[in-house]
Amino acid sequence: MAIGDNTKADLELTWEVRANCRQRYARGRRRSFLCFRWGQYADNTVRSYKYSLLTFLPLTLFEQFHRVANIYYLLIVVMQAIPAIASLRWYTNAIPLILVLTVRGLKDLATDLARRKSDSQINSRASDVLDSTSFCTVQWKDLCVGDVVRIHKDQPVPADLLLLCSSEEYSLCYVETADIDGETNLKYKQALSITHNELTSEPSEKSLADFDGVVWCEHPNNRLYAFRGHLRWHGEDHVLNNDHILLRGTVLRNTQVAYGLMIYAGADTKILRSCGKLRVKSTHVDRLLNKMVIGIFAFVLLTSLLMAVGHGAFESQVSRFIPALSALTVNGDPVYSAFLTFWSYIIVLNPLIPMALYISFDVIHVLHSLFINWDREMRWEKKDSPARARNTSLNEQLGQVGHLLSDKTGTLTQNHLLFRQCCIAGRVYGDASISVEETQQMDLSWNPFASGQLSMWAPELVQLLRARQCPIVSEFFTALALCHTVMPEQSKGALLYKASSPDEEALVGAARDLGWVFHSRRRDNLTLLELGVTREYQLLATLEFTSQRRRMSILVRDPEGGLKLYCKGADMVILERLQAGCPCLESTERALESFAQTCLRTLCVAVRCVPEELWECWSKVLTDAATMATGERDAVLEALHGDMESQLLLLGATAIEDRLQEGVPETIALLREAGLKIWVLTGDKTETAVNIGYFSKLLDPDTCLLGGQELREVLRSADPGYSASSSRQGNAWCVNMKTARAKTALVISGPELAEFVQEPGMGAKLIGLAAQCQSVLCCRVTPGQKADIVTLIRKYSSSITMAIGDGANDVNMIKTAHIGVGIAGVEGGQAVQNADFSLAQFRFLQRLLLVHGRWSYRRITFFVLFFIHKTCNFALVNIWFGFFNGFSAQSMYENWFIAMYTSLYTSIPIQLYAFFEQDVSAESSLKSPGLYRPGPLNRLFNPLTIAAMLAQTLFSSLVLFFIPYGVFHDSPLDYQTLAVTVSMADIFCVDAELLLLTRHWTVFNAVFLCIAFGFFFIVTRITQQPRLFQLAPADYFFVGVSENAFANPLVWLTALLAGVTAALPALFVFVFNVLLSRPDTHRVHSLAGPRPVELRSKVRRIDSGRRPSGVASRVSSKGAAPASGGPHPHPHHPRGLPLLGDRPTVDGSGIELNVPFIGRKLLPAIGKKPDHD
Amino acid sequence: MSKEENTANRPDNTAFTQQRLPAWQPMLSAGIVIPGFVIIGVAFIGIGVALFVTSQNIQVLEKDYTGIETNSSCFKCTNPRVKNCNCTINFSLDKLFEGPVFVYYGLSNYFQNYRKYGASKDAAQLTGDLAYFTEPSTSCVPYQRDAKDKPIVPCGSIANSMFNDTFKLFQIVNSGNVAVPLDGKGIAWWTDYNIKYRNPTTNPLKNAFNDTVKPIFWPRPAYELDTTNAANNGFINQDFLVWMRRSALPNFRKLYRRITEGEYAKGLPAGDYALVIGYNYPVKAFDGRKKVVFSNVSWMGGKNQFLGIAYLVIGSLCVVMSIVMLIVYAKFKFPDEE
Repeated sequence: MAIGDNTKADLELTWEVRANCRQRYARGRRRSFLCFRWGQYADNTVRSYKYSLLTFLPLTLFEQFHRVANIYYLLIVVMQAIPAIASLRWYTNAIPLILVLTVRGLKDLATDLARRKSDSQINSRASDVLDSTSFCTVQWKDLCVGDVVRIHKDQPVPADLLLLCSSEEYSLCYVETADIDGETNLKYKQALSITHNELTSEPSEKSLADFDGVVWCEHPNNRLYAFRGHLRWHGEDHVLNNDHILLRGTVLRNTQVAYGLMIYAGADTKILRSCGKLRVKSTHVDRLLNKMVIGIFAFVLLTSLLMAVGHGAFESQVSRFIPALSALTVNGDPVYSAFLTFWSYIIVLNPLIPMALYISFDVIHVLHSLFINWDREMRWEKKDSPARARNTSLNEQLGQVGHLLSDKTGTLTQNHLLFRQCCIAGRVYGDASISVEETQQMDLSWNPFASGQLSMWAPELVQLLRARQCPIVSEFFTALALCHTVMPEQSKGALLYKASSPDEEALVGAARDLGWVFHSRRRDNLTLLELGVTREYQLLATLEFTSQRRRMSILVRDPEGGLKLYCKGADMVILERLQAGCPCLESTERALESFAQTCLRTLCVAVRCVPEELWECWSKVLTDAATMATGERDAVLEALHGDMESQLLLLGATAIEDRLQEGVPETIALLREAGLKIWVLTGDKTETAVNIGYFSKLLDPDTCLLGGQELREVLRSADPGYSASSSRQGNAWCVNMKTARAKTALVISGPELAEFVQEPGMGAKLIGLAAQCQSVLCCRVTPGQKADIVTLIRKYSSSITMAIGDGANDVNMIKTAHIGVGIAGVEGGQAVQNADFSLAQFRFLQRLLLVHGRWSYRRITFFVLFFIHKTCNFALVNIWFGFFNGFSAQSMYENWFIAMYTSLYTSIPIQLYAFFEQDVSAESSLKSPGLYRPGPLNRLFNPLTIAAMLAQTLFSSLVLFFIPYGVFHDSPLDYQTLAVTVSMADIFCVDAELLLLTRHWTVFNAVFLCIAFGFFFIVTRITQQPRLFQLAPADYFFVGVSENAFANPLVWLTALLAGVTAALPALFVFVFNVLLSRPDTHRVHSLAGPRPVELRSKVRRIDSGRRPSGVASRVSSKGAAPASGGPHPHPHHPRGLPLLGDRPTVDGSGIELNVPFIGRKLLPAIGKKPDHD
Repeated sequence: MSKEENTANRPDNTAFTQQRLPAWQPMLSAGIVIPGFVIIGVAFIGIGVALFVTSQNIQVLEKDYTGIETNSSCFKCTNPRVKNCNCTINFSLDKLFEGPVFVYYGLSNYFQNYRKYGASKDAAQLTGDLAYFTEPSTSCVPYQRDAKDKPIVPCGSIANSMFNDTFKLFQIVNSGNVAVPLDGKGIAWWTDYNIKYRNPTTNPLKNAFNDTVKPIFWPRPAYELDTTNAANNGFINQDFLVWMRRSALPNFRKLYRRITEGEYAKGLPAGDYALVIGYNYPVKAFDGRKKVVFSNVSWMGGKNQFLGIAYLVIGSLCVVMSIVMLIVYAKFKFPDEE
């Protein structure tokens, strides 16, 4: 499926859809056969499966032979059919090839069947379609373009529809777009007024059946948020845009019935057009492995060439004097003979190419992914959501992560927002220092709408409200109840709110619980129940929230006829728009400070009484603006909005708690100990981010922060490492640069980041500096910047990046990073859709990385090294043998042995090793995070380890040949006995090495090792049976060899010595490992859990909600530290606690670069914090 | 929230899915590993000593009869124009050469393991299938048919190049020669004699070879290989079978006869002997050497010094390494332990 082919034809409105013209479209259906296609309109069937009964075999073979290794093997098999060069029988390479193709084909078939099943589930969903005069129910796959479709409440939309009319007023209709953009709030669509007026008459079937409009629109495309077209009906053209279109994948909500005309069906729909292919990510091991295979291939070619040269020399120098051999030289020409020998050696050395490695690799990856899916300890009980490995090829990379980039909201925090405090007219209500669990429930039984979930204790506020004593308090809650975009939903008598942001939901919910109930929303009308009194507000204008404006406002006419503008937004934005001399400004600011310290999210609420004249004038300009060109209009609108949102009267501020997810601090502490560099990227304010940093153990109490101007200076200086110390020379504790760096965290804001990214050379410096630091906090970053950071890290450091996030704003980052992890949380599925792994909670990351990742990395790297080792030392023997048989491409082994060696004798035990190996248990991995460190440093699979492995292979193969050589030299033992002896030595060597490699013996390991070992003897005896020889003398010409060889003690002793000696290097390495690593393993195994216990106790402290005192103690010591930025007043909180840092004074840019507390050092004396336990 | 409705996605709690399969994790320490290494070393040294001693007790007598030196009796036979040349090599034993004595012939620089040489035969023909007598496999080219296009049986280069020197051993007693009986029975593998190589069932055997020719280098056709024993002819001739079993390496021996009969069954007594050689097989062209080897055997076959020494070397290496390990261990680990 082509994505976004923005050809000219696309942009022209040439896609014609006639309503109620089924015959025509049913005939024009798009069909395809092989690569030919005809017909314009797709039917409404999704086909994500690839194979049919007929096409499976050719297609799967075609796909599999895309792999170079398979093609290569096939060529070898073909070559073996040429008698002149066939140094081996055809089946030696054909059997492994067929095995690989079969396993792979079956795997593809299984996934395809699963796809087919899910397709047919979707295709057989029911939908109502207009059939001449009445609606009848058909399956989705039978719908076609031009049909008029009826959708009921809570039904998914079957195709891209033009909304004709609905059961609601003005033919409004609400849809949920969770499947498209992950947002769970409702969006509304509205029909054209002409279709609304003409078609809503009852009964609608009649008028709908008579509807004969023609839609001309764009050809199908992948632009989800744009639609261009017009409807021609009764000779008039009506312009259509995105607001009139119901997209496939959305769900109808809050609307009884909607009618739509199908415009794009099936594969033409925007959602199907825009779901691109999952980008194929390859791992470090993958890439190195491919290079290695290419290297091996080159080695095979080169060696074959050298052997061919040797053969030519032998032919011309030696064999021409041996009558028995010279007669065999083809055409008597040594050069031609050498040419043929080249090909023969390519065949003989073919087992060097580890083709079966790829398939084993796949199988191992799949199983490792299943282990992740199956892990009960990574399943979140509460939501019944297990971990999912969506990409099954990145497992070993999980053990190599060097940088973890995490989103904050919803990832570190629960994104379950609670209204905890508010400040109205300078007075603070509620106390967030008492944890949610310990907060007393207020008696709200007087309010039938109260949900009973308000976690705030402020009886005095309730009293004030109920008594209606304080107009400013009432106004505050009116503002909360009105100024939002929430949709109310009545379900089973309860009032549910559907909001695009959880903040709004929390605010409107709090207003409801306190008696200011937002009851219903119509197009230009909002209904509140204020303490049971119904009041209708006429909605005049909504000034929407954008991330630039960081505020939203709503202009209403209250029931008394007064015009009011309610505005809420980020404190900085609101505070600069207040009217002069606003009362309680100072006390509100102080309250905001204290809210921020306790990690609460703050918003300011303000009101403005708008004079009638201003509104008239303003609305006139607004109407004019609607006709302007886009760019111009935006500027005008911004100015207009600015005009309206000024002269505000501050009502107060809200404080919402976004609690840390369970286990976040331990997880971060653990991951930091495991050597990961953790970057937290958030759109939040610096203060909030820093506070979260402390609570989540991202920053230690004595971490010093480097940010703002200071960071810029450090980076600008020639050598960041040096001048940082000079800029802090006053600080006694920064004498030792290294330790100082390890205790430093960088704080970077979005705009600064943009600056660093653009400036050449800065990126490298930044990453270099960050590498020395403890962690990095990036605040106020946009989604695009999140991805930029990942790109920056990937560019300037070699480490593996992992991005974790939960929302649509993290998708960029998740896709850019080596590994993307989605938190399957509150914010819909978009992050998960694009992620390689999905987790329910952040804390499962420790298990994913430290246990699954670490195991996978070790298992897979050892597996790959061992696999190549075993195929190479087996195949290299042929080269040494070549020196003693005139480089004649005589194979060292029996054909059957070659065919069975990789597939039967050695594959299963090493495969099981890669399935089950655990060098340390899961518990120990979690207790000793230091064990993770070799992964990010890539200690196990790098050119050095590969070289060591190849050296060992070389040694083994030499031993495997030359010890039998010594024994067979000048002896009466024949070639076939030698072949069996060397085979036996091979098996001894491989199994001995497996014995040494495996440290975790399950029953399967032991049994299959024995079976594989036994198989060698059994299969060898079977293939050398007289009966088989009599059937096919040419294939079983080793008849009787094993019978004689296995009875000969000399053969056994030779094979034993050769096998053990070949395995000696592995034995030495093993023993030295045991000797040298013993203290470590000792520690791992004997770890009692003092540290985790301590961790848990800390967590309990945080969770028990005694945070503020913790902060206070930390802050008080900090307050004593010398401030580098000059004296700053420390405004005091009502409770008398000193505050963390100084709030920046409001500055017009809205972008605070130099946050004063950054760059200050907290004294290490913080250890004295009060002990709660 | 009740527990039941919340478990739809709960993975199975089996040892396999949770990666908690019962497993044995050997806890290894220096206390196990170093002694283990010593044990391997000692075991190897033990095997090595046993092999070495056994090998030392085997008596071997090798006589090169290539005739390179002009003064050797076989020198005259190296001239390719001399036909049916006989030469004699005399040797004396000063003590009993214990029996049973095996007689081998040895060739060097002769590449029987050359791939195309090994392929140059017709396995089906050699099982006595008459169809392949008239149509030998193309793998035998250029020894498939002779110049007159008659099929060669047995075809191929291996058969064609069959070793055809003959040996007779005499003990010189009182200046008279007493023939030492050489036993040529059962020197080939049972499977070769019974399965891999079969004569056609035609009786007499000669008839099966009608319309075929003998291999070019052979003096007599296959059915007349052994003129003394009619049953030892055709493809199941013992010497033929021994030759057809290709050697592993360019220097090799092949079993020729055993001395198992009569008074010599106990061995060759001390005395003078004469080995009369029917010198037919040319090796001088490719610098090859021919020899006759008398040897008695033990449980491990013929004399084989190499394996015993190799075991001793590897065993000693293990012991030495374990000492090195002990030193390493003592040096680096003991301070930590305390």
